[in-house]
Amino acid sequence: MPIALYGFLQGDTVGLLILAEEGDTLQALARKLEDAASLRVAGRDRVQLVYNGKTMDPTMTVAQAGLQALDRFDVISG
Amino acid sequence: MLSREEWLPLARKLDWDYSYVREDEVFPEVISGRPWLPHSEWQEWEESFKTSYREYVDNQYEKDMAVYAVRDAVGRLENIQKLAAPWMNSLKVHAAALALAEFTGVIGNLRGARFGRDSAWRTMATFGALDEYRHTQIPLLLFHQLVRWDSQFDWAHKFYHTNNWFAVAARHFFDELTVGQNAIEFHIATNFVLETGFTNLQFVGLASLARESSDHMFERMVTSIQTDEARHAQIGHPVLATVMKHDPKYVQYLVDKWFWRSWRLFSILTGLSADYLTALDQRPYSFKEFMEEWIIDQFLRTLHEFGLKKPWYWDTFEDELDIYHHMIYASAYTYRATLWFNFVIPGPAERKWLRQKYPKYWDDMDAVWEQVSERWRTTGPGAANELAVHGTAMPTFCDLCQLPLSAGTPRKNSARVLVHEGRKYIFCSDPCQWIFLQEPERYASHKDIVKRVLSGEAPAQLPNLLTEYFRLTPDTWGRDVHSGDYEWLRARKTSAA
Repeated sequence: MPIALYGFLQGDTVGLLILAEEGDTLQALARKLEDAASLRVAGRDRVQLVYNGKTMDPTMTVAQAGLQALDRFDVISG
Repeated sequence: MLSREEWLPLARKLDWDYSYVREDEVFPEVISGRPWLPHSEWQEWEESFKTSYREYVDNQYEKDMAVYAVRDAVGRLENIQKLAAPWMNSLKVHAAALALAEFTGVIGNLRGARFGRDSAWRTMATFGALDEYRHTQIPLLLFHQLVRWDSQFDWAHKFYHTNNWFAVAARHFFDELTVGQNAIEFHIATNFVLETGFTNLQFVGLASLARESSDHMFERMVTSIQTDEARHAQIGHPVLATVMKHDPKYVQYLVDKWFWRSWRLFSILTGLSADYLTALDQRPYSFKEFMEEWIIDQFLRTLHEFGLKKPWYWDTFEDELDIYHHMIYASAYTYRATLWFNFVIPGPAERKWLRQKYPKYWDDMDAVWEQVSERWRTTGPGAANELAVHGTAMPTFCDLCQLPLSAGTPRKNSARVLVHEGRKYIFCSDPCQWIFLQEPERYASHKDIVKRVLSGEAPAQLPNLLTEYFRLTPDTWGRDVHSGDYEWLRARKTSAA
C-alpha cells in the first residue's frame, strides 16, 4: 500500500504529494520528488533528505526511517 | 412635516425596550455575536454617512446609470477584444472571485440588518446588503455578454459552484467570513479588516490598473463598487469601538485572524494581476509598492487609532510581500489546467523589472522560470505541448486557507505538520496553524483537496479531477496565452542553434 507523503524540494514553489512504498530507499524517495518537480527545479547531483529536522541516511528504507502517511519530508542540496 | 435633519435621527434610532421577551432572546449571542451586551452599551452606535433610504436609492440609481452608460460606450465585445491578452485573464480571475462572493456579503449584511444591536447599525447593514446585491449583479451583467465569445468568462457565475481548488479555498474563506458568521464578527472582519484594510483600497488600485490597461468598463465597475464599499465599511468601526471597551483581547484576535485570512486571498487576486497579468508598460506600480503605499500605512494607522497592536505575525507578513504571490503564480502556471484562466511566462524584460522590484528572493524565482522556459524550449511551442509543460504530481494544500503549500521561500518552505486529536493536518504557515488552533472545532472536519483525493471523494487521475471535480473542460482549462511561443524564447533557440 503506497504511503502518501508531503515532499518539499529546496528551490521549488509548492509542496507535492509523493506516493512512496515502504521498501523505497530514501535516495529513491528523494529522486521521486525531484522528478515530480523537474518542471520547476533542475536536478542536482547530490541531495539530502531531511525528516523531522534530521538528515537521513539515504540507504534507509521509508519503513526503517519511520515515515508515515501524511508526514513531511524535505529534499535539500547537499 | 419634519425636515430631513429632524426626521433622519428619529428614523435611524428606532429602538425600544422589550416587554414580552428578553433582549437576549431577540438578539441571541450565538447569532448577534459576543460579547453579549445590553442595548444600553450600543445605543451610542453611530456612523458618519447617515443616509436615508430615499437618498440611497437616488444615489444608487445614478451610479447604475453611469455603469450602463460606460458599458454601452466601451463595454461592447469589440472593445473587450482589443485588451491585452494577459489583462483579459486578470478580468477572468476577478469576474469569478467577485460576483458570488459579493452575494455572500448580502447574507452577512442581512444578518447585521436583523441581529445588529442598534437600529442605526441595522439600517446601515440593510443598505450594505443592497450594495452587495448590486456588486453581485454588475459583474454578472457585464461579463455575461462575453461568455459567447470566451467560455472561460462563464466562471463569473460557475466558479463557486465547482470544487475547483481555488473555489474550495475562496468558499472556505467566505463561508466563514460572511455566510456562517455572527453579526459582530462579520462586521469587524468584513467591514473593518477586509474592506477598510484591503478591498476599499484594492478597488482604487484595480481601477488604476484597469485604466492603464485601457479597460474602462472594468475601471468604472470597480470604481462604482468602491464608492459603496467606502460607505458600508463604516459599519465596522463603531462595532469594533464598542467591543474594544469590553473585550479588547477578542478584538485583537479577530483582527489578527482576519487580516491574515484576507491577506492570503487578496495577495493572489491582486498580486497576480499587478505583477504578471498587466502588460509591463502598463504597470503603474508593483504589488509590493501598492501594498506599502495603499494598504499597510493606513491599516497600521487605523489599528493605532483604536488602540490595537500590529498582528503578532507582522514580520512574516512583511516578508511574504516579497515572495508569496510569486510562488503562487509559478506554481499555478505549472498547474494552469487546474484553473479557468490563462497564464503568461514573464519574459526577460518582465523578469528584469521583477528583479528590481523584488530583489530579496528573485534569484530563486528566476531559476524556476528559467527551468520552465527550458521545458518549452525542449518541447517546442504549440497547444499540443501544453501538458508536456505542466505538473503531473499532485500539488498540496493548507488545511486552513486551502491554498497551495507555497509559503515561506523556495529555499525553505514554511509548511508545518500538526497532529490534533489523532489526525494529521498540514498548514502553509505559522499564522494558518495558529488560526486553526484557536478554534479547531470550527475547522477540523474540513477536508482539503488532497485528503478528498486520498479518501476517494475526488478522482486521483488529473484528467478526471479536472473534468469531473473541478468542472473544467479542454476548452476552458487554463493554458499558456502564447502556447509557449514567445519571441524571446525563439530568439534564444536561434542563438543556441
